[in-house]
Amino acid sequence: MMPLSMAGTGDMVTIQMIKGTDEVRQHLAELGFIAGEEISIVNQVSGNLIIQVKDSRIALDRSMANRIYI
Amino acid sequence: MDIKIALAGNPNSGKTTLFNDLTGSRQYVGNWPGVTVEKKEGRLKGHDDVIIQDLPGIYSLSPYTLEEVVSRTYLVNEKPDAIINIVDGTNIERNLYLTTQLMELNIPMVIALNMIDLVRKNGDRVDTKALSEKLGVEVVELSALKGEGSKDVAEKAIAAAKSGNLGNRPNILSGEAGEAVKAIEEILKGKVDDKFLTWNAIKLFERDSKAVKAMKLDAVTRAEVESLIEKCEKALDDDSESIVTNLRYNEITGITAETVKKGRAKGELSISDKIDRIVTNRVLGLPIFAVIMFLIYAIAMGGWSISIGTAATDFTNDVIFGEWVPGLFDSILGALSITEGSVLYGLIQDGIVAGVGAVLGFVPQMLVLFLLLSILEDIGYMSRVAFVMDRIFRQFGLSGKSFIPCLVATGCGVPGVMASRTIENERDRRMTVMTTTFMPCGAKLPIIGLIAGAIFGGSPLVAASAYFIGIGSIILSGIILKKFKAFAGQPAPFVMELPAYHIPSLTGVLRATWERGWSFIKRAGSVIVISSIIIWFLSSFGTVNGQFGMVDNLFEDENLVTEEYVADLADRMDVPVEDVTPMDASLLAGVGNTVAPVFKPLGFGNWKPTVATVTGLVAKEEVVGTFGVLYNFDGHAEQAVDEETGELLFDENGEPVMAELSEEGDEIWDRVAKDFTPMSALAFMVFNLLCAPCFAAIGAIKREMNNAKWTWAAIGYMTVWAYVLAFITYNVGGVITGEHGFGLGAIVGIALIAGIIYLLVRKGYQADDSVQSLTSVNANAA
Repeated sequence: MMPLSMAGTGDMVTIQMIKGTDEVRQHLAELGFIAGEEISIVNQVSGNLIIQVKDSRIALDRSMANRIYI
Repeated sequence: MDIKIALAGNPNSGKTTLFNDLTGSRQYVGNWPGVTVEKKEGRLKGHDDVIIQDLPGIYSLSPYTLEEVVSRTYLVNEKPDAIINIVDGTNIERNLYLTTQLMELNIPMVIALNMIDLVRKNGDRVDTKALSEKLGVEVVELSALKGEGSKDVAEKAIAAAKSGNLGNRPNILSGEAGEAVKAIEEILKGKVDDKFLTWNAIKLFERDSKAVKAMKLDAVTRAEVESLIEKCEKALDDDSESIVTNLRYNEITGITAETVKKGRAKGELSISDKIDRIVTNRVLGLPIFAVIMFLIYAIAMGGWSISIGTAATDFTNDVIFGEWVPGLFDSILGALSITEGSVLYGLIQDGIVAGVGAVLGFVPQMLVLFLLLSILEDIGYMSRVAFVMDRIFRQFGLSGKSFIPCLVATGCGVPGVMASRTIENERDRRMTVMTTTFMPCGAKLPIIGLIAGAIFGGSPLVAASAYFIGIGSIILSGIILKKFKAFAGQPAPFVMELPAYHIPSLTGVLRATWERGWSFIKRAGSVIVISSIIIWFLSSFGTVNGQFGMVDNLFEDENLVTEEYVADLADRMDVPVEDVTPMDASLLAGVGNTVAPVFKPLGFGNWKPTVATVTGLVAKEEVVGTFGVLYNFDGHAEQAVDEETGELLFDENGEPVMAELSEEGDEIWDRVAKDFTPMSALAFMVFNLLCAPCFAAIGAIKREMNNAKWTWAAIGYMTVWAYVLAFITYNVGGVITGEHGFGLGAIVGIALIAGIIYLLVRKGYQADDSVQSLTSVNANAA
């Protein structure tokens, strides 16, 4: 497992686990970030990411991407 | 009884478009999440007894952002008769997550499957009928943008509201969790509203703190519930909230697997994705943004051949309000035999025409700016900018989300302040509300235009510096404020949905432009007219040597206007004796002169700029409106100015050379120029750009802060910041440019600069609440 922030542009990965407080995990879940979900990385700018998840594009900063393990 | 129908759905799913279509209203729609920041009500077209309620977009009913709290509170407390749940057809799975929560509210519901045209275009297929059966809720296809299906949605919703039929909704919570929730329901029976039994039981199971508090359960019941939850968590080896989330997504995946066929393979890049790769690119992202913004301001306000805005405004100022309108009124007044010099003539020409004209002249420029900004919003570029700017703003303790309010505020501060609601973190939100109006808004453009035109020969550098000062103030304030305890802590992590790009709709963009422009014109027709009349009255009447009347007329009486009197007046008003005008004896001059010492250290301690600054609180464009009235006197010869050096001309005997009165137009500028030096003009502009915003924006700040103390803190901070920067501009800037010598002012100015630097670099308050803060998770996770 590695944090999502290490993934590169164009990668397609599966979420293994999400860490963080309940509030943060809940919000990520609402946006479609749940364990087992397949996501692809649209763009990566020094750890900040644009991710395609469940047919939408979500922008995450590095601190958020660090909580998602792939 | 009225039927209440609520529109609920994910951000940017088209609620406001549908709302406008259903109610015939013209609420603003932009292509970025968070356009609707407060709930709006309207009556359904053709059904006066049906009220449609537009709610802010939400991802779920668990409150993470302020918008989610607003929507959830409405749904739970107001109990609408029916819900129209708008589901973005291109993103069904994620959207249905909210649907599963809405269904638990036990309110009759209709699902509007929006963007159905896009779904078809993408080659996706949705079996609406099967979806409808599986969800137990009627699903209606809709293309809100094209207006297809909206009538159908409304009628089905009314029918659902009238019948109260809940349909056969699936039970999402199965297994241990389902049993636990059932058991909690049993405990809750009689303790909460029967209709919301399931909703409350699930919230209790999820340990939703807000909902738990609202139920006001006794300790025994809570302990009982808690033991049930813990038992279930142990059995499933997960926390209760995640259990529910997973069950919801399992159910959704099951439903969509059978009803939705995707035309595009998972992970394949859409056009929006491809564009995003370029515009959010590590290297190109910022330059692209800079070029776009430069082009916008070049077209709206620059001095080049592409600058449509400037050309149109020049024409309006010089020709329409410089010649045509005054000429027209002259002939009308002439026909009514109202002669120059009479009270009525003065009121109309010098008061209303001059004041309102000075403001309306800037409308073309503003419309061009609004148009371009609307296009930018409609395309969907805003949220990308937030993403690109996040990296930079984070260095200064602000989130990229703070950038959207700032960008919106370049149009108008009121929606700018309101756009701050998408910021989750309370501290960041307050800080953004406090600093957003530093951006030069549309109404401040006339001030910039006036100063640039009158003092700096129309240099585009003045406008550029205004934006630089605005952004600089926001960034510096960010750093300074972050060091105080009330704002300390890392900005909240950045999470934001990037909507699909779309070609801006002509009507949508024109409507948005016109609405913003129209509110400006309306203001010119209402508050600006009234304040222009008041300013004119106060500036036309006064006491000359003990006799009250119209100062212009009194000044013609040589018995009153003695040399002694003029000398005394000149002394009081701090003007050279030969520059004394009748207006200096007016009531307004007296009032302004009392306040003027406050601005003396800023270099514009004359009563006219003082009055203009104060009237700027009514509306920023009124600063220029006031100048229009106060500098619109005529009949007095002025000293000629050397066109090249800008110096006053004297003949061989040292007598001032009198200028010939030019035709209208730039004449006001010349008069304004006489009251300012370049540095005092800059200081005047800096102060007016940064100080307390207009009353409308102050009202917005008050609403967003929802707290008198914070509102005053915000206004106080802005005004002090404005005063300090203007002071430095005049006193230190003046020494640098050689305008005046080194003195006390420069020393204080340098001390102030040192103070700002200290505030910037000092070691601020270190937040030790990191245990609870969102950011601490970072440390744990890494």
